[in-house]
Amino acid sequence: MIETIIHVLVIAGLIVSATLVYYFRDLLAAALASGLFSFLISLEFYLLQAPDVAISQAAIGAGLTTAIFIIAIRSTKRYEEDAP
Amino acid sequence: MIDPFYPAVLVLVILICLCFIRLILGPTPGDRVVAVDTVNTLTVASLVILGLIYREVIFIDVAIVYALLSFISTLYIAKYLGGEL
Repeated sequence: MIETIIHVLVIAGLIVSATLVYYFRDLLAAALASGLFSFLISLEFYLLQAPDVAISQAAIGAGLTTAIFIIAIRSTKRYEEDAP
Repeated sequence: MIDPFYPAVLVLVILICLCFIRLILGPTPGDRVVAVDTVNTLTVASLVILGLIYREVIFIDVAIVYALLSFISTLYIAKYLGGEL
């Protein structure tokens, strides 16, 4: 019972953070929400008792992807412009 | 019988969901960075408690890797905000 509530809360957090990636105009905040999404999906893999998938998701999604996004934002523009 | 450590994980996950309010409303990027860092620490704590519930040693190793990588991720963002990167 409690485990089901934990699953529902983690999946609700996944949906909220994925929606935030779409809505943020500041690309740094979008990269932050993307990193949070990968951390939460790693927690969900862990709850489903797949620790090897969780460890690779944490390594690639949280460590590498956020750093590469930050490097890419540094070389280009940070704020997204309005659609023409 | 319900494992007595499950309510602790539930409380930690509720706290993670409360951190989303600061992530949504936060006016400056600094607020959002602190929210994400708090979520990372709470997640590491819940991973350790879940490893205790499942009674597997290998599950604790995931928490160690997780703590290290969340530090690296936060460090990159902080260096970008500080203008050093």
